[in-house]
Amino acid sequence: MAQVERTDEQVVRDVLDGDRDAFRLLVRRYGDTLYGHALRMTGSADEASDLVQKAFVKGYRKLARCRDPQRVGAWLFRILANLCKDHVRSRRSDVSLHSMAGVLPAGSDPSAEAEGAEIRQKIRGALDALTPEQKEAFVLKHVEGRSYEEIAAVMDTSVASLKMRVHRAREALRGLLEEYA
Amino acid sequence: MNDDFHRHLDGELPADALDPAERSRADAWERMLASYRTEEPGHAVAPPWLEQRVMAEIEVIPERGPFARALTWLIRPTPVRVPPIAAALTVAAFAAVLAWPSPGADGPAVPPDGGTGAESVVFVQFVLDAPGAQSVAVVGDFSEWEPTFTLEDPDGDGVWTGRVPVQPGVHSYMFLIDGSDWQTDPNADRYQDDGFGNRNAVLAVGE
Repeated sequence: MAQVERTDEQVVRDVLDGDRDAFRLLVRRYGDTLYGHALRMTGSADEASDLVQKAFVKGYRKLARCRDPQRVGAWLFRILANLCKDHVRSRRSDVSLHSMAGVLPAGSDPSAEAEGAEIRQKIRGALDALTPEQKEAFVLKHVEGRSYEEIAAVMDTSVASLKMRVHRAREALRGLLEEYA
Repeated sequence: MNDDFHRHLDGELPADALDPAERSRADAWERMLASYRTEEPGHAVAPPWLEQRVMAEIEVIPERGPFARALTWLIRPTPVRVPPIAAALTVAAFAAVLAWPSPGADGPAVPPDGGTGAESVVFVQFVLDAPGAQSVAVVGDFSEWEPTFTLEDPDGDGVWTGRVPVQPGVHSYMFLIDGSDWQTDPNADRYQDDGFGNRNAVLAVGE
């Protein structure tokens, strides 16, 4: 029997009408996307899952304020992105403690991982030194591969502003280019 | 890094349009990013327990009662499109009500010019990269060339932005940094000489 899947708009309406279990569908639909972004922003699996959990719970509490239920995924993403920026901002004083522990796949060859690890660490350090907004723009553009127009729509900002942030991020990485030349 | 390098990475300029040095740098950039992406999580999958944790936390949130749900229905924002003629008629109706003489009133409460306020205005987002600036204003014919509209840089990253109400038409403008340094918008679509040796940026705003 074919089962018609509820649209995001229907799910939001059902949740607001009291069917809180329907929110599970939004977690399933957008959990991976949100988690991936949080992971790239924080570099920590534990921190990423905590932030995603916070974002979904906050989204549930504020769901009535979602102006466009058809784009609830983008709305949840914006909640998460703001939490990530706040988180990155709050821990900038101890970025030297930042590591990717927990992200690398289990069983990775240490010698293979060591190759290039130093330069990657430098890239990560350079990104951590950016403002959270610049880092976010860089991650969305160059790591997640999104277009400026897509990012602008999700983050409710202008393409010109995003370009400037990405340009700044590139300039911050300029010195590292020599090692790949 | 020059502008061409950024334009290439932004997808606005093909690689063969770069000079050899910039092309080599662009290749190095791709290698560097590829190396970075191999370690970064490409297709991250949320841990399976995340859904249960979220739902468990949601379960203990007090349920919204029927009154709250009804209130939500009442206040839920709904986009409404109003044809320009309907908007003009509505404004005119308000003006007529305001102009209706009330006891003791000396005269109609309408603007002296009799305007209805129905002229359309478009909010234009201005952006300027000005690290180190203390203030940035956008100044143009739409502000009578006065620094009325200031931009903001709330996160301190040197990118100043602001939305300014502009009437449809073609406008000239400049940025005024720290109250004295005039700068032409480097990202404008068009420019024109201002007659004093500088170039104004030109902005075309449609109806």
